[in-house]
Amino acid sequence: MKPLILIIEDDAQIRRFLRAALDAEGYRLQETVTAEEGLAQAAARQPDLILLDLGLPDRDGLEVIQKVREWGKIPILVLSARGQEKDKIAALDLGADDYVAKPFAVGELLARIRAALRRSIVRGDGAGSIVHFGPVEVDLEKRIVRVDGEDVHLTPNEYKLLQVLIQHAGKVLTQRQLLNEVWGPQHTEQAQYLRVYIAQLRRKLERNPARPKYLQTEPGVGYRLVSEE
Amino acid sequence: MRSTRESLLAVAIVAIATIASVLFRDSLAPTNLAMLYLVGVVVVAMRCSRWISVTASFLSVAAFDFFCVPPYLTFAVSDYQYVFTFVGMLVVALVISTQTARLKDHAAQAAVREARTEALYRLSSKLAGETRVFEAARAAAALAEEVFGARVVMFLPEDGKLSFRRRTSDVLPVPPSEESIAQWVFDHGHKAGLRTDAHAEATALYLPLRGARETFGVLAVLPEIGSNMENRIFLPEQQQLLEVFASQTALAIERTLSQRSAEETRVHMQTEQMRSSLLSAMSHDLRTPLASITGAASTLRSQNDRLPLETKQELLESISDEAERLSRLVGNLLDMTRFESGGVELRRDFYPLEEIVGTVLQRMEPQLQGRTVTTDLAENLPMVFVDDVLIGQVLWNLLENAAKYTPPGSPLELAAFDEQEAAIIEVRDRGPGIPPGEEERIFEKFYRGKSVNIRGAGLGLPICRAIVQAHKGTIQALARAGGGTTFRISLPIQSA
Repeated sequence: MKPLILIIEDDAQIRRFLRAALDAEGYRLQETVTAEEGLAQAAARQPDLILLDLGLPDRDGLEVIQKVREWGKIPILVLSARGQEKDKIAALDLGADDYVAKPFAVGELLARIRAALRRSIVRGDGAGSIVHFGPVEVDLEKRIVRVDGEDVHLTPNEYKLLQVLIQHAGKVLTQRQLLNEVWGPQHTEQAQYLRVYIAQLRRKLERNPARPKYLQTEPGVGYRLVSEE
Repeated sequence: MRSTRESLLAVAIVAIATIASVLFRDSLAPTNLAMLYLVGVVVVAMRCSRWISVTASFLSVAAFDFFCVPPYLTFAVSDYQYVFTFVGMLVVALVISTQTARLKDHAAQAAVREARTEALYRLSSKLAGETRVFEAARAAAALAEEVFGARVVMFLPEDGKLSFRRRTSDVLPVPPSEESIAQWVFDHGHKAGLRTDAHAEATALYLPLRGARETFGVLAVLPEIGSNMENRIFLPEQQQLLEVFASQTALAIERTLSQRSAEETRVHMQTEQMRSSLLSAMSHDLRTPLASITGAASTLRSQNDRLPLETKQELLESISDEAERLSRLVGNLLDMTRFESGGVELRRDFYPLEEIVGTVLQRMEPQLQGRTVTTDLAENLPMVFVDDVLIGQVLWNLLENAAKYTPPGSPLELAAFDEQEAAIIEVRDRGPGIPPGEEERIFEKFYRGKSVNIRGAGLGLPICRAIVQAHKGTIQALARAGGGTTFRISLPIQSA
């Protein structure tokens, strides 16, 4: 059966085009207008993905993320206004999986939905697998990294950072989340480390570190590993 | 008091002249003794008031007759020729008295005039540069205390009503109940209070600060009770000076206010001008894409069956393109508004320049299709302390402009290096260049190059400048050797 997507969005026009686009892709849909209704439907129907608008009439969208995360791991894709980096970071830190800034093109939204659904299906950290992106090949079991078939040496921290990015491939990770996972909770304010390591990883893995294709920066928010094309 | 002392002095001097005359009575002719009395009158006239010296003149003639003209100790005169002496002596004495007194008056008046001129000169020079009403009043009050030797407070109105709360002194030196007297003075523009017809029982004299058009406040004078200055303030010439002082202060306040309102008018006009140019830019730039979208969408809706597939596709593309343009425009307008209202908070941190540059280039790939973009980043660039989102936006705007205003396919370059404590980022193109003289103006809001025919709200570069300046950096457009333009951003490198 096709995945079920729960839409929580108060604007009728936006719901209208979301319905058209998602319908055409064959997704099953449940539309809700308020946070209250959305939370009820999320619990009742257990959708495969939630599309959440942050500016809801009855409650802050961030609260919805919090409530859903109390009981489940359903991927949440946030629709946010442009330039509201603070909201994006807050949503991601609360456990949202990704965001799309309004106005957005449908192609971008569909790609994000596919990535989020894929992650939720192959969750369980894919141990023993070998991961490919571009010229890079990572053997997660043997901890070997190759670029164009040649071994590349990574320091332990570089490898750990890459590992975290691979685990969440396609998803934006905030600086706080990355620092927490790689260096531990007491280092979440030292974003400079992170930038230095990302720059080093790019130099080692990207063909053109000045125009990174795989280790992408989400300005003001964090980083994302883009593994597909 | 003063007159008693003067009278005693006059009597003493006439007595001294008499004693001297009696001593020399036998050796000198009586007409010469008269000279001694005249010397006495001169001294009295110099020291005392006019009436005392006139009295001293008569007294001298009487004493001369009584003591120096035989028969002695009687006013009777043996030789009638002395009558001429008496008359001559009296006339001379009186002339001396009046003339000396007049001279003294002149001197005194000159002194008063000088003091007054000086006081007013000091007032006007103190108030000349003052642009704040309250500060002007405070300065005038301080000077008045010095000039008049009395406590002086000025009260200013609050919401059109005089208030004892808005005053130039820290403590209120008059009873609060007198606020109504001050209010009356403020309303009617006449003085009242101490030693005037109205409320003579008050502790202070209240004068209006009356300018050419309106009354700006009230000046209160409190003479120090018991001091020898207590009465001086009520002398006519001091009262007059006080009134001139009050009106000069009022005029200074009036001038200050009119300067301020002129400045406000100017700012207001500028704002209006900006608003109207914003409106005209908005109405044009927002309506054009909206018109395309509406047109294309309504064509699709009403003529759907009759349109060839190809045309439909074209119309759809135009809707999508124009919507994107509209979105950029609205985004720019919002950014500019946020910057101008001071609502932008820099979220600065240390970033490698290459990361910022790389992110922008990667995200702009669709816009830069068909262009060669050469990046030239110096090795070991220092980290820059910036807001990465905003600096990214600057680069985005510059690259977008370069893509828009230069011929398709012409190469672009992006270089970064450090130079004298500054990180330099350059975006270079091989386009038509910026006409000489417009290098600065292109950073002004709503300015559009005369020669270019491409639509845009003229906000991209002003936003760039606002962002760079918020980082204490500079941005310039430079003509490039061999044709084209270099946009050069210089950001200070801050040591951690």
